[in-house]
Amino acid sequence: MDLAMQVEEQLVNAPPDSGLRRRTTWKYLRRNPKLVVGALMFLGLLAFSFLGPLFVNTDEAAPMSAMPVTAPSREYPFGTDDQGRNLLAVAVVGLPLTLQVGLIAGVVAILIGTILGLTAGYLGGWVDLLIRGICDILLTVPGLVVLITVAASIKGSISVQTMGLVVAALAWMWPARTIRSQVLSLRERAYIQMAKLSGMRTPEIIFREIMPNLLPFLAASFVGSVSAAILASIGLEALGLGPQSEPTLGMTIYWSITYNAVIRGLWWWIVMPIALIIILFLSLFLMSAGLDEIANPRLRKADA
Amino acid sequence: MSAPTGTATATEPTSRRLVHRVVSDEPMLTVEDLRVQFPTDRGDFNAVNGVSFTLNRGERFGLVGESGSGKSTTALAIMRMIKPPGRIISGRILLHRDGGTVDMATLSDEQMREMRLSAVSMIPQGSMNSLNPVRRVRDHFEDSILAHNEKATKGEIAERMKELLTMVGLPLSAGKLYPHELSGGMKQRVCIALSITLAPSVIIADEPTSALDVVVQRRVMETLGHVQDLIGASVLFVGHDMGLLAQFVDRVGVMYRGKLVEVDTIQNIFAAPRHPYTQMLISSLPTLTERGAFRKARSASDAATAANIAASTPGTSS
Repeated sequence: MDLAMQVEEQLVNAPPDSGLRRRTTWKYLRRNPKLVVGALMFLGLLAFSFLGPLFVNTDEAAPMSAMPVTAPSREYPFGTDDQGRNLLAVAVVGLPLTLQVGLIAGVVAILIGTILGLTAGYLGGWVDLLIRGICDILLTVPGLVVLITVAASIKGSISVQTMGLVVAALAWMWPARTIRSQVLSLRERAYIQMAKLSGMRTPEIIFREIMPNLLPFLAASFVGSVSAAILASIGLEALGLGPQSEPTLGMTIYWSITYNAVIRGLWWWIVMPIALIIILFLSLFLMSAGLDEIANPRLRKADA
Repeated sequence: MSAPTGTATATEPTSRRLVHRVVSDEPMLTVEDLRVQFPTDRGDFNAVNGVSFTLNRGERFGLVGESGSGKSTTALAIMRMIKPPGRIISGRILLHRDGGTVDMATLSDEQMREMRLSAVSMIPQGSMNSLNPVRRVRDHFEDSILAHNEKATKGEIAERMKELLTMVGLPLSAGKLYPHELSGGMKQRVCIALSITLAPSVIIADEPTSALDVVVQRRVMETLGHVQDLIGASVLFVGHDMGLLAQFVDRVGVMYRGKLVEVDTIQNIFAAPRHPYTQMLISSLPTLTERGAFRKARSASDAATAANIAASTPGTSS
């Protein structure tokens, strides 16, 4: 028994091999190419929108600042639209605006969803019944109809921030439901029982014991919420219910539809926003799937 | 015998006993007519049906019985941790402490929360999973201490953790490890250290050695006995392993179908078991000399017990 003790002690006292940790991180990232590729694509888009203003005159995102209706050329790589906007400048200005709407909506949705999901899942009983009921009812409401009504009823021009909040208003139910289901499983774990036996208070148990276990899951659902919010905001904007004076990606689609870009052969006008949106969604999807693998080890592939 | 010093070395917990256990006749915990009820589709079910016993100061009391006999439910009821819809319908749980007596059955939820760990602590069943996988061992000590003393400083917590880890024979470096980096026996010793963080008067151990091999089992039991001696607590040991209990407890209570059918010293229980269920429990122990003793010992009283069980279980016939 003494021998066992010594071995145990040696194991515990062994200095942590930092190289090992670095190697395993690298190995893990290689096994999770989705996360790496998605993150790199996303970083590329961020670089485009933050470094872009250094190379492109963003004033040309306003109408009447460039020669209208020119196909992509050396001077205007993305071409110009009917109103005389340089579409490269529009892309540089519009992408961060669209991201901003998505982030505002995503943060608000996850925040509300996490609080409600944790409360409903952990407390259970009538609190759970109430929160779940509200979520279920709101989930059956066709979101776009409500969003159109809300967006249309806002007087004057809508700002990017308001746009984000409008989208967030109907984006928190799904995170709330999924987080609740995670908590339902976590709260039955033996270490939660142990925490209760140690006399910990309910808020302490929720935030110190359950929350850390939820973090990878929250990260994955946050990315999911952001992409859902961006999709919803673009849908509204393409219908003309977005910020009229801002050149967001969705508004660019709206203007190109309004001025019959496709029929008139101005393909570059509508291709620019759609191509950016595709790249954006691809990167968000890949990151979400990659994070999901961390949160849900069963999705992981064996070491290649 | 040299007295162990307070150094960081992992000492064999029981090889040198510092403190000798003093068992007195003074009661520490008195459970009177405890009843726990669960409503079911076929009417109310009393999982614990009028259990009374006394745990004396410094004593080791064992609760033994088969699965479903109500022994774990009794332990959880003392901690007031019965999950709804189950509830304690009657009984008193008297804790004699600091010269006074508190009936834990009547405390408010907040008062009871304060009692947990500081007055009565419990090492839960299945302790293999009792540590939060994403938190380090030291975080567990921090959480437990802060739940009872918000003003505790980092230094005080670290100091207390050092003492506790030494008490259970773990190296101090264990504090920075995650649970998955510990062996089963080490995890269990961390759980024991956590349970005595605030030096409670009563430690309830609910099958603390299930899922451990016999060697580790023995060391965990020694650790438990050692820390009990150090803090002068009483231990309520819940289990089903008569052999294990025989080596550890002073007195034993045999539970059967929600009732405490026999309470006596461990010697008397083994020498002269009165209740047929107790006789069956003891005869179920394998012996070196009598192989197949269980089959041979199938006496009239055994048959009676078996018939009793069969009668209460629909769908079986023997």
